[in-house]
Amino acid sequence: MSSISSISSSIPVSASRSRRQVALYHLRRNPLVTLGLIAVALWILIAFSAPLIAPFPPLEQDLAKRLQAPNAYFFAGSDELGRDIFSRVLWGSRITIPAGLAVIIMGSSLGILIGAVAGYAGGLVDEFLMRLTELFMAFPFIILAMAVTAALGPDIRNAVLALSAVWWPRYARILRGLVLEVKSQEYVEAAHSAGASGSYILFRTILPNCIAPAVILATLDIGTAILSFAALSFIGLGPEPSSPEWGRMVSIGIHFFDQWWMWLFPGLAIASLVMAFNFIGDGLRDILDPRLRGE
Amino acid sequence: MSFFHYFVRRALLVIPILLGITVVAFIIANAIPADPINANLPPNALNDKDTIAAFRKKWGLDKPLHEQYLTYLGNLLQGDMGTSIKTRKPVAEDISSRLPATIELATLGLIYGTVLGVSMGLISAVWKNSLADYAARVIALIGISFPVFLIALIFLNVFYAQLGIAAGPGRLHPIMRSPPTVTGMFTIDALLNGDWKTFGNALSHLILPALTLALYISAIISRITRSSLLEVLNQDYMRTARAKGLHERTVIGFHGMRNSMIPIVTVIGLSYGNLLVGSILIERIFAYPGIGFYMFRASTSQDFPAIMGVSLLFAFIYVGVNFVVDILYFFLDPRIRIA
Repeated sequence: MSSISSISSSIPVSASRSRRQVALYHLRRNPLVTLGLIAVALWILIAFSAPLIAPFPPLEQDLAKRLQAPNAYFFAGSDELGRDIFSRVLWGSRITIPAGLAVIIMGSSLGILIGAVAGYAGGLVDEFLMRLTELFMAFPFIILAMAVTAALGPDIRNAVLALSAVWWPRYARILRGLVLEVKSQEYVEAAHSAGASGSYILFRTILPNCIAPAVILATLDIGTAILSFAALSFIGLGPEPSSPEWGRMVSIGIHFFDQWWMWLFPGLAIASLVMAFNFIGDGLRDILDPRLRGE
Repeated sequence: MSFFHYFVRRALLVIPILLGITVVAFIIANAIPADPINANLPPNALNDKDTIAAFRKKWGLDKPLHEQYLTYLGNLLQGDMGTSIKTRKPVAEDISSRLPATIELATLGLIYGTVLGVSMGLISAVWKNSLADYAARVIALIGISFPVFLIALIFLNVFYAQLGIAAGPGRLHPIMRSPPTVTGMFTIDALLNGDWKTFGNALSHLILPALTLALYISAIISRITRSSLLEVLNQDYMRTARAKGLHERTVIGFHGMRNSMIPIVTVIGLSYGNLLVGSILIERIFAYPGIGFYMFRASTSQDFPAIMGVSLLFAFIYVGVNFVVDILYFFLDPRIRIA
């Protein structure tokens, strides 16, 4: 008797440990994930400490020292108003990282909500919401976000709102499928017969069991969100021109093509952050989808 | 199912989507801005009562929303997308004069991108974990992670400004005259005119921007090709094909590629959206006077009617391309023909 109980209690523990071990094993075999994690951590640290570590305030002008190539004084050169590119790039992380995360959080939440309601309610509600989802997927989403931002008036907040408003369809689709699957489980029926309300069942019983795939998709998506935000602000539908936002800095840098430092460094900042997130996302997918593992 | 049946059925499904797009565009254009008049007319016209009254009447702004939509749809069907604030010309006219340039660029970008993406994915899958696989995956990762406008700037700087081996910005060398307009696509018009020099020059101006676009879309294409082909390579029929002594090239090229074509064609269709977005981001950098540059200018100067016109056009093109992909399924997937 005691041996049986010890076996049964040891199974889930060892199973979860081995799963964690498998994950750790693949993490270790995939150094790019570690690299990605370090780079993201570094950028977040920079975002928090930019006011302390940046040599100059991001808007401080020094017209006497304009358009200087990278040197010991301006590590990444200076722009057309004598502002320090290096400091501006550091400060830019305080705009881009929160913007990208906000798009993902708001967009995926909206998608999760729409998908969950569609899957749970079924019938006409489901039909309507899914046709709506298909319609939104018929647009190239950045184009739709451009139109929405232009209609709202260009600034950072509206760019983030517009991107969130077009970000949800894939999440809605996935969530709907998962909710349909979970809905027929016995514990949901049990909650029904215990007299739980519809919203309680949906949000407390069903959703917690469907959230994981959406979280994975969100991790894979952060890089795209950052690129899309940079694209919007590159074409002038984001922050105002003096802002140290990276896409905007590149956009202004085009006018100074030969002063390559004006566009290269902010551009590389975007690329390094997005690549770091993509390393993490790819590694996560490889670990979770064994078929794609490079064995 | 016959091809005709399949075609008609798919075509009928496109109509509600196109209508839906016009509804969304209408909502964005008329319901979101605090004041559609403010958003759609140039600032100096806002003091002119006649202009405002004419604008109200044309778009039915004094009527209820659903009638406004019908007016909007009616105007749209007549090719009226409003008047650009910046160029002062009808948006439809602006678009049609710039569209051929973008079609030329996007077509070349799509060809390059497909060839590059499919071959990188193929190499990656067949020689999995080889040096070539890693190289292809790194290129794909750069294509996915680098903002396309940065790649464009780097290409232009390195290949044009530093090395001098690529043509510079624009569609033609500044001293050359554009060929007589037939299609509006300089390469084709030059060929129709038998003018090889202009053809060569126009083509050389297309190469760098098209390659930038290609790198941008090939990343996704190569990833899907790799994973789709890897899945197929593990199938029993692949082993059978090898067991009956077929040449490896036939096994991969015929049995392998054919069965992984559906996801690849799907992603090529979807990446057409990226091609359109990419054209907005890189035409500005290459000073290439197409729809993308027009959209860029419209955005920076808040030319709202122009932005809405281009958005609508791009959505229509995107739906059109994915309709073509749907039609291609008929030839790629025998199950459709049997069902």
